[in-house]
Amino acid sequence: MGSAVFWDLVKDKTIGGFDPRNIVTIMTSPLSGTLVPGASSRTEVQGIGVQSSPIEWFTRSNFGGRFAPMLKYAGWDGIVIEGKADKPVWVDIRNGKVEIRDARHLWGLDTWKTQQEIWKEIGNPEQSTAQRPAVLTIGPAGENLGRVACLIHDAGNASGQGGFGGVWGSKNLKAISVIGTGSIGIADPKGLMGARLWAQEKYAADLNKLDASWYGRFGRKRPQLLFWATHGKARLQACIGCQSGCKERSDTGYGNESTCEETAFYVGYDKWKHGGKQTSATYIAADLLQKYGINAFEASRGLAYILALQRSGVLGYGKKINCALDFRQLGEIEFVDRYLNMISNRKGIGDDFAEGFFRAAKRWGRLEEDLKTGILPYSYWGLPEHGYDPRAEVEWGYGSILGDRDINEHDFNFLYTWPSGAIWAGKTPQPPAEQVVKIVAEKLVPYENDPLMLDFSTDNIYSEHMCKLVAWHRHYTRFWKESVLYCDHRWPEFINSKVPGYRGITGEGEPRFFNAVTGKKLSFLDGMELGRKIWNLDNAIWTLQGRHREMVHFSDYIYNLPYKGYGNFTMYYLPGREQGRWDYIRVNGRCLDRAKFEEFKTQFYKLEGWDTQSGWPKRKTLESLGMRSVADELENHKKLGT
Amino acid sequence: MVIRKKKKRKGFINPSRRAFLKIMGSAAVGAGISELFSQCIWLNDSVAALLACEGYLLVDTKKCQGCMSCMLACSLVHEGKIGLSQARIQVIQSSFEKFPDDLTIAQCRQCEDPECVKACPSGALHVDRQNGNVRKIDVKKCIGCKACIRACPFVPSRALWSHEDSHALKCDLCVDSPFWNYKGGPEGRQACVEICPLKAIQFTRKMPEQKGDAGYQVNLRGEDWRKLGYPTD
Repeated sequence: MGSAVFWDLVKDKTIGGFDPRNIVTIMTSPLSGTLVPGASSRTEVQGIGVQSSPIEWFTRSNFGGRFAPMLKYAGWDGIVIEGKADKPVWVDIRNGKVEIRDARHLWGLDTWKTQQEIWKEIGNPEQSTAQRPAVLTIGPAGENLGRVACLIHDAGNASGQGGFGGVWGSKNLKAISVIGTGSIGIADPKGLMGARLWAQEKYAADLNKLDASWYGRFGRKRPQLLFWATHGKARLQACIGCQSGCKERSDTGYGNESTCEETAFYVGYDKWKHGGKQTSATYIAADLLQKYGINAFEASRGLAYILALQRSGVLGYGKKINCALDFRQLGEIEFVDRYLNMISNRKGIGDDFAEGFFRAAKRWGRLEEDLKTGILPYSYWGLPEHGYDPRAEVEWGYGSILGDRDINEHDFNFLYTWPSGAIWAGKTPQPPAEQVVKIVAEKLVPYENDPLMLDFSTDNIYSEHMCKLVAWHRHYTRFWKESVLYCDHRWPEFINSKVPGYRGITGEGEPRFFNAVTGKKLSFLDGMELGRKIWNLDNAIWTLQGRHREMVHFSDYIYNLPYKGYGNFTMYYLPGREQGRWDYIRVNGRCLDRAKFEEFKTQFYKLEGWDTQSGWPKRKTLESLGMRSVADELENHKKLGT
Repeated sequence: MVIRKKKKRKGFINPSRRAFLKIMGSAAVGAGISELFSQCIWLNDSVAALLACEGYLLVDTKKCQGCMSCMLACSLVHEGKIGLSQARIQVIQSSFEKFPDDLTIAQCRQCEDPECVKACPSGALHVDRQNGNVRKIDVKKCIGCKACIRACPFVPSRALWSHEDSHALKCDLCVDSPFWNYKGGPEGRQACVEICPLKAIQFTRKMPEQKGDAGYQVNLRGEDWRKLGYPTD
């Protein structure tokens, strides 16, 4: 929906993210606020971002919690932020009543204080509701136009990529608060209850009966997605409507609701400083990311980068790149607070950091060199890599460079984590590669039953089969995960050990829930086709922004340096064929072949029906998807593929 | 004022010792009085007691993950639509507080001595003798005075207001849940109990201690919960 709204409302697609003519869409889905597990809570954010390079792509991000549900209960399907306010404002939504209010007293507050202030200010507007308003806000990082600034909701739900925090800051928008006391109509209430209980019973782990042999994605045995030592006294915490909480709230209040990368951000430094023991610094570092409103990946990869520069003598106090950070304190709370404060408030060299470390390297005259050596691990579009390196797990890298951002879509990572984990533990991975590939391939509609789509051997990673896997991934995520808003932590699920035959919920679950809520008769394939349509519209937008196939390439180190592994990703096994036999094969040690990747692009463009010379959409393709007006617009700008 | 007097009945179980309605002439007024008396047992010619409910919801607030699935399911099975303000059970939480004070669950206690029932002037809020004496609202009779909401001694009130439909709402243990595939009530299944992914809500037939909250709290965390890394005390 956000792509379509953007297409219609932003006439000049070549503007930058900070331009007041840029819009930001905050969208719900038909499943928001309902009982659909993993889809109820997500909110989708779109607009021109300010993080990527060389072009600030039209991009997206989403976050969990309860913002989209509350928006729906208030009677709204989405918000479009246009223009720019003259002074800091916040938006107060109470059911149908919307008021733009003065936010000068909130400006400068961190994201947690801002939300609590708004809670206090609103009180209990609808009297008998016991619920608090859902607030989405920026912190100081966003106010200071950081390109690495997030939108934060509750303690730890962040819209990170794209730098939408900075975009809000440029619009003088501090926060949006919403409280709703209405409801969402459900076409088939009994069907929805039945589907939820069916999914829970059949696919989800029962945390009251832990089974050591259980694995799946829909409801993991250990649902926490935390890389730090968990608190002794805490509760599991879930987004609204989700059967499987992945976060915690602790008895110290530290680290509340943080998950994934922010929990990994400082733990290594903390342990290194404190004799291998984790301290509260790890939790507090995550809290600071949330409070300042800073993208955890930028802060994490950036810190590793400047540390490498400091150790090589280039960066430091009085050095060529003057940096006032005292690296002797690395691992302590004081250090991380100073570091994040510098980013947030653009203090000293923090002014460079706030631009994102790709742009910072450029300012320091180091970009080319550091992308060659790989000490700046920014693989695509000036954005930090995710750990799922393009040289190893190619579908992640290909999807990112053919799109607009680090995809952050973990759909196929289990093909690496499960066998690799077993092999690290000295066990034989189960089920065997051939069986897993067969099950997954069955579910890759409309390209089903082509197991070579999942062959990650070096001979196959540039093939037409891999093109289909990347296309499937783009189409699936564009509709089912970014429009219907199934959560990336839980969907899709291909394999589930609880089910005889190991077949996970994907394929059946997505449309079953969707149809119960909406009353439509949408098939999984229908959704895939809608995803293809959205993907094509997005490519049309990028084309008008200035994309050409020549700029669609990875950073140099991806082509020049063999992949050694990184952190937890050291030993990388994926399914593949060796001498005609399926196995989990080790994919470390390879780099991508530049020429072969160019051939891959040509095949991919052909598969999508795009121009192989430019990568631009073609009229025939767009018209077949019902987007003649999009083709006309591209033609007007002389950017229609031929 | 007309006061109906009945002879003491026999055969009713578990009459509440405290839930006496003393027929003092001025104690009971309004249109609902005859309705109210029909829900009582008579202990003698002038003292009646409301029948105790035959089912209660207990919660483990330390186990709850705050997903609010119970609220969404409650709203869905009763109303055929989903909203937090349509849920008869309320999970109230703050992201910024410390465990375990970050979350409370406000479920209806099906009180032995239900102030909400006594306060209802129209007889809408009544003891449903056909369904295990659940304290239940007949929305057709609800006049929207909110007396039940005000009368509930707990915060937040366990009787809620439907902003959309302008009548009071209250837990009926899923007796009147047209969108639930199962029979509800004390003899059946409750949607919140069934939907909770962590099994943090429990149904019991035994009346909890009425004084304070402790009777309605229960520890449902077993050995596997400890293995998961969470406290069981």
